[in-house]
Amino acid sequence: MNDYRWLVRREFWENRAIWMIPVGVGAFLILAALFGRIDMMSISSQVPSRAVGEVFLIAVGATFFAVMSIYSTWYLLDCLYADRRDRSILFWKSLPISDATTVLSKLATAVIVIPLVYFAAADLATLLMAFIISVRAHAAIGAALWHADLWLQLQALWLYLIATSAIWYLPMAGYLLVISALAKRAVMLWSILPPVALMLVERWFFGTHVIAHYFVVRLIGLAQVAFHSDTGSGFWVTTMVDNGTVRTPASIWSLIDAVGFVSSPATWIGAAVGAALVACAIQLRMRRTEI
Amino acid sequence: MPPLIEAKDVSKKYGAHLALDRANFCVEAGRIVGLIGPNGAGKTTALRAILGLADYEGELIVLGRNPFRERTALMRDACFIADVAVLPSWLRVDQAIDFVAGVHPRFRRDRALNLLAKTQITGKRRMRELSKGMKTQVHLALTMAIDAKLLVLDEPTLGLDILARRAFYDALVNDYMDETRTILITTHQVEEVENLLTDVLFIDKGRIVLDSSLEDIATRYAAVTVTADRVDAARAERPIFERRMLGKVVFYFEQPDFTKLAPLGELHTPSVSDLFVAKLSGGAE
Repeated sequence: MNDYRWLVRREFWENRAIWMIPVGVGAFLILAALFGRIDMMSISSQVPSRAVGEVFLIAVGATFFAVMSIYSTWYLLDCLYADRRDRSILFWKSLPISDATTVLSKLATAVIVIPLVYFAAADLATLLMAFIISVRAHAAIGAALWHADLWLQLQALWLYLIATSAIWYLPMAGYLLVISALAKRAVMLWSILPPVALMLVERWFFGTHVIAHYFVVRLIGLAQVAFHSDTGSGFWVTTMVDNGTVRTPASIWSLIDAVGFVSSPATWIGAAVGAALVACAIQLRMRRTEI
Repeated sequence: MPPLIEAKDVSKKYGAHLALDRANFCVEAGRIVGLIGPNGAGKTTALRAILGLADYEGELIVLGRNPFRERTALMRDACFIADVAVLPSWLRVDQAIDFVAGVHPRFRRDRALNLLAKTQITGKRRMRELSKGMKTQVHLALTMAIDAKLLVLDEPTLGLDILARRAFYDALVNDYMDETRTILITTHQVEEVENLLTDVLFIDKGRIVLDSSLEDIATRYAAVTVTADRVDAARAERPIFERRMLGKVVFYFEQPDFTKLAPLGELHTPSVSDLFVAKLSGGAE
């Protein structure tokens, strides 16, 4: 455990973007709350306050989550490659830390530590924004942003999303680590080329698109496996906003489908494939020190 | 006591190229061994195998362990500087010390700080801000603060100027070396290390062509400087190499018969660099 602590600290030294990007996103959103136009919000004072709060909290959280997904992908692709590119791998390997520990620490940084950093940044930014908007905007809007139960439910939702993503996207993470340990250059290109080539070959020779299908299922399937999409009437609340409507879940708890996630074979097949790919990345890290 | 490093028929292939070809050698404890060979001879490949950085064929035992499978455990007792300037550019000097202190059970922080105090380098500097010589000083301070049984250095002074090089070797011999330690060093600049070595390993085309202590070289090899009129007599004694110098010829002999060689001219023990040239170009004669 001691080694992991140092290795994660090392990742923060090396990749200052881990905290600088979420701080930047937070600063941007706070500036927007400070100086942005708030008429859009003040016109809909007739909207039930809870829906406004929900939309606001989810929008801020989703912004952070989207940026985090892109950064984590890039981080995984770069982390093992960077050590070979600057040859510092020869320094890290002169220390009594196994390659498995190193690779797993980088994986843990990508799927646990970085999401938690973004989670904390999102919370902080949301609090500050809610405070600023409360001061600036219509009283009804201000009140809409402060629902303790809604906040609590969303904390649970984001943590649930982080935990399920870590398992669901393990094959993607493992694949990116393999490329990062293997590629001689242009990791981005090498990460995209093999799956695209396989998809094209499959299409040309068999006329099918099984690989593309599984890829898309893995990419967006988490929503289906880990969340309830619809459980009939009463699940969604439809709110009129000016000429359109907003559909928000009646309760955020009811979205979470932990049993569905844990009992889905896709979850564990993916996790097994992911674990195999991570093991492969460890073997490559043991053998490849040159670029 | 078993040798610190024992290699039996160690081979390593890169594609069709045989970088190490059934290499056999031993390194005993308490020695300073020079692994010497021309570029591309397999020096780095041999070191990579010893340090567990690459897989190989054959049998290799380092400090009683299989280096490739047990690299983590091996690195508690062995340390290495595999090249200059491998400390990452973003790393600060104090972070480097904290990290190694955090993960290495045999690292002595006070010792590293003492070594760095002798230099101009301060803790907040990043590696990218340091000159090559300074980076080497940092790396050496980190490495010498580890109580290791084996220190491996691969071309440690490559790219350093003469002052930095001299300082490097002085620190190595005066501050680090004692009878409990063993140093294995590769270089293609033989002159630079020949005064500090106790043993030499010559490697050429992936094969070990000489494995000897310096004391043994005096009995196993001889050089005779011969005037032009005795050249034929000297050639009759089957030299391994000859070299023309200012009208005289120097002949190098393996397993010399000193009584026969002495009358031919001025007899002396060849230097490591001369022997290196003799052994490695000898085959072409």
